[in-house]
Amino acid sequence: MLAWTAWDTGADPARFARGVPWIVDFLRRMLPPDLRVLPAALVGAIKTLEIALLGTAVAAVLALPLGFLSARNVAAPPVFHPARAALNFFRSVDTLVYALVFVAAVGLGPFPGVLAVVAYTTTSLAKLYSEAIEGIERGPVDAITATGATRLQVLRFGVLPQVLPLFLSYVLYRLETNIRAATVLGFVGAGGIGFYLQTYLRMIDYPAASTVLLVTVLMVMVVDAVSSRLRARLV
Amino acid sequence: MIEVAGLRVVLPPDVVAVDGVDLVIRPGEFVVILGRSGAGKTTFLRALNRLVEPTAGDVRVGGRAVTGADPATLRALRRQIGMVFQQFNLVRRASVLDNVLAGRLGWAPALPTLFGHFPAEDRRIALECLAQVGLADFAQRRADTLSGGEQQRVAIARALAQSPAVILADEPTASLDPALTGSIMDLLKTIRARRGLTLVVSQHQLETALAYATRVVGFRQGRVVFDGPPAALSPAVASTIYAEEPRRSPQGGHP
Repeated sequence: MLAWTAWDTGADPARFARGVPWIVDFLRRMLPPDLRVLPAALVGAIKTLEIALLGTAVAAVLALPLGFLSARNVAAPPVFHPARAALNFFRSVDTLVYALVFVAAVGLGPFPGVLAVVAYTTTSLAKLYSEAIEGIERGPVDAITATGATRLQVLRFGVLPQVLPLFLSYVLYRLETNIRAATVLGFVGAGGIGFYLQTYLRMIDYPAASTVLLVTVLMVMVVDAVSSRLRARLV
Repeated sequence: MIEVAGLRVVLPPDVVAVDGVDLVIRPGEFVVILGRSGAGKTTFLRALNRLVEPTAGDVRVGGRAVTGADPATLRALRRQIGMVFQQFNLVRRASVLDNVLAGRLGWAPALPTLFGHFPAEDRRIALECLAQVGLADFAQRRADTLSGGEQQRVAIARALAQSPAVILADEPTASLDPALTGSIMDLLKTIRARRGLTLVVSQHQLETALAYATRVVGFRQGRVVFDGPPAALSPAVASTIYAEEPRRSPQGGHP
């Protein structure tokens, strides 16, 4: 089957080898980076950060009720099954595809990018939340129930303290991946640093494009480092 | 204080855990439910506040029906029944004080508690209960940094914070170092004396039952096989309680 896929996709090592000089040429034309576009690249990077931050934050909250509704040990089966199915459906669409939809709906700019991040992240976080909820210890839940607490109080005092550190860790992880996803949102007109990258590539201004790429790489590395340090402290 | 009539609990798929128990527990008694593991002690205790739903029979606490009670009534009843568990069942990541405050959930106004707010009076009660179990200095520590014995004391403080009329303790010393058994049982005994509580404690250790109980109820295979003062528990009766039994078939008959 792999052989067939290789044939069907036209995968050919020789053809790749013939392409290598072009990659080298491409890289050589990117150097040295044109630092005059650094201010523009930084503005784009900040926009991308904003898109990812706002989108992730909104999604982190929206995913809360969804997460509880799609947890087997909290929601009743008539609620749980449709909720799970809806999550799986919406999660199968990537952020970039949502961005295309929202650009068409609300026009160009960072705003459709935020909406796209919210749409994808809400469902993917809800799924992670629900799995965390399903993995909790039964004991504390029993103990809180036995005090005469209401159902909501049992969730708040028996379930939430067990899952909150996990939730925060998932949100940070999503923030990392969303910053990476948001860097390409500009390609479809949804704002951020990707817009500059695409513009310079189209103008065949490779030194400028390489500056944008460098800024992107640095931004992603910094956010990853900060976020993974925070996550390590949560668990 | 507790009246149980014809209590029967069948756990899924079809294990008869409690098989027709009639029992009246009077206020202030220190009842030890004695039996081997698997005798139905845990299920019996959990049926008293309906953490496990009884299959048949009646449970009344303080004269009010627990079985068949609507959710609000059930919560009001649970509020006066403190519960202590074999595995402590603390919220490990929460502070000791927050764990004890959970005991006030049935009393404090519900909405503010959802935002973590408890009235000053409830906080005072929680701290007082913590002091009563000798852990006043541990209030801000995370629960999972405490030793097993300390965690069980926190759990007892949580039950006390309910200002309960009854405390049910399910094998409260079984997961602890045997050397700590006495200190936990002493603590329960002191609390009962000071607050005039009714105590129902399940135990699998005969010596502990005899040392602390005012009344021993022997369980075997979900049935009461002895009920009387510790002094009346003869070696012959004890060996009946602890006797090996063939497992019942799923239908509940004897193979």
